[in-house]
Amino acid sequence: MSAMTQKRVIKPQERIPQIPEKIFLFRSCTGSMEYPGTEHCVEFVLKKLGIEVVKDPDQSCCSGYILTCSGYPAEPSLAVTARNLAMVEQKYGLDTYVFCNGCFGYNKELKHILDHHPEYKNMANDLIGQWGYHYEGTSTVYHVQELYSLLLDRIKENVVRPLTGLRVASHYGCHYLAQQYGILDEGDMPTFHEEIYEALGATPVFYKERRMCCAYAVGRGFTHPENVVQPHLARKFDSAKAEGVEIMTTTCPGCNVALDREQPKLKKRGFGPYDIPVVDLGQLIALALGAPIEEIGFNANSTPVEPVLKKLGFFKDDYGVWERRFVNE
Amino acid sequence: MPRENMTQWDDKLYQKVDRYNLVPNLDECLQCGKCTGNCPVAALHPSYNPRQIVHDILLGELDRVLQSEEIWRCLWCANCYRVCPVDIHYPLLMMQLRYLALENGYGLKYVTPINKYAYRSLECGLTFVPGKKGVEKIKGLREGIGVEPWPKVSKKAIHEYGEIFKQTGAYDWMKALDEVQAKGEEKPVTLTFLGGRLVDERYDTEEGN
Repeated sequence: MSAMTQKRVIKPQERIPQIPEKIFLFRSCTGSMEYPGTEHCVEFVLKKLGIEVVKDPDQSCCSGYILTCSGYPAEPSLAVTARNLAMVEQKYGLDTYVFCNGCFGYNKELKHILDHHPEYKNMANDLIGQWGYHYEGTSTVYHVQELYSLLLDRIKENVVRPLTGLRVASHYGCHYLAQQYGILDEGDMPTFHEEIYEALGATPVFYKERRMCCAYAVGRGFTHPENVVQPHLARKFDSAKAEGVEIMTTTCPGCNVALDREQPKLKKRGFGPYDIPVVDLGQLIALALGAPIEEIGFNANSTPVEPVLKKLGFFKDDYGVWERRFVNE
Repeated sequence: MPRENMTQWDDKLYQKVDRYNLVPNLDECLQCGKCTGNCPVAALHPSYNPRQIVHDILLGELDRVLQSEEIWRCLWCANCYRVCPVDIHYPLLMMQLRYLALENGYGLKYVTPINKYAYRSLECGLTFVPGKKGVEKIKGLREGIGVEPWPKVSKKAIHEYGEIFKQTGAYDWMKALDEVQAKGEEKPVTLTFLGGRLVDERYDTEEGN
């Protein structure tokens, strides 16, 4: 069946039929190390919205990133995926929610291969059977951004710091959008992030290259930084700057690394300057839902977020404590 | 580019590339070129041409494909797959094509620096753990926001993760690449598909486009 002939728009209620009371949160390596605020804020937001979050130290890395760099053959990643998902299925009987597009794309793609090629499923089960796991494939992999969309009303009710006047732009990320089958909204031109910005009181901004990828997948940041990644990102940011974007959100810590950490390098090469801070969507929601600002972890960013916070009225007093001095009309 | 002679062709190239049988519909390719039109890398470098690569794999132009520097430029954004009228999963094709190039001694320099992190992940169950200084920075950031200094990964998870890599032979596969490189047997890659469309000169960073 062709993706071109499939139904294009999927509503949150179709993707996640029932609001879950409890979810398994799949830890992301980059989201817990490079930008630890991401993981912390995702948990803060979900707890605030009445969802119980379970994590497990027995979960390992999804192993997909270096696989897609062709760093090693596919067998270990198939087995690692089967192991992680089997652990969640057997121990908790819950669906898996990830907060990194990488974890989402790799888990979903590898799960698809396991579920459609019995020979790989048997190979994986033979291997992980020695530790007592058995992968059935009964659970589903979701992204927390899909849950945000489903919980839009609860988000609206819980906003205590409206982000009035803030011009926010989205970056959905291709490992999410590339999963053609059954992702939320319209895979070509989704708008559910923009609906969330509106719920937070901010102004969504559309720019030409909003669908463009971050260029850091499959290790191009290591291998082709100058001749592929930087001109590619310059195209993206040029179009964002033309629309007056003040802050950009991602739903993938990996994209966040590319979009945030590359900006100073682009400046050095004569592109820009752009000075568009890039944060996780969970961090932006947490800001609006009243998370203590020092716990959001904006200090991990290379492109400072402070100018945006100041515009929203947040200042550090003489004792280093954050306070909001005004709210935009 | 010198003219190819018959020994550089391989009728079975497609089967060799698609070793995991993940792109069984490649021969349905219509050569419509929507993939190339939607490719952000092709927009920067016309010499990178997904349609041409699919064409060459199907025809079996072995050396031209494997020696190509362009095959290492794909960003895996899947814009090609999104618009493909016959649903060819080009990213998975690209991943497998790179395996074949590596096993023939091409493009190792694009993989071994990243595999440093793969080896490290076998010791800690996390990918992209930085060096000592970076780890200290992460611990500081994590403590600053009030969470435990290091993500909780159990010894059991690390052990099983490492064993999976050893028992599937992936660890030996990675080591073999390192050995080829250490012996200086890596073969050079070249830009293969020169010429073509015009690019936006503001973002043109390469001679030969």
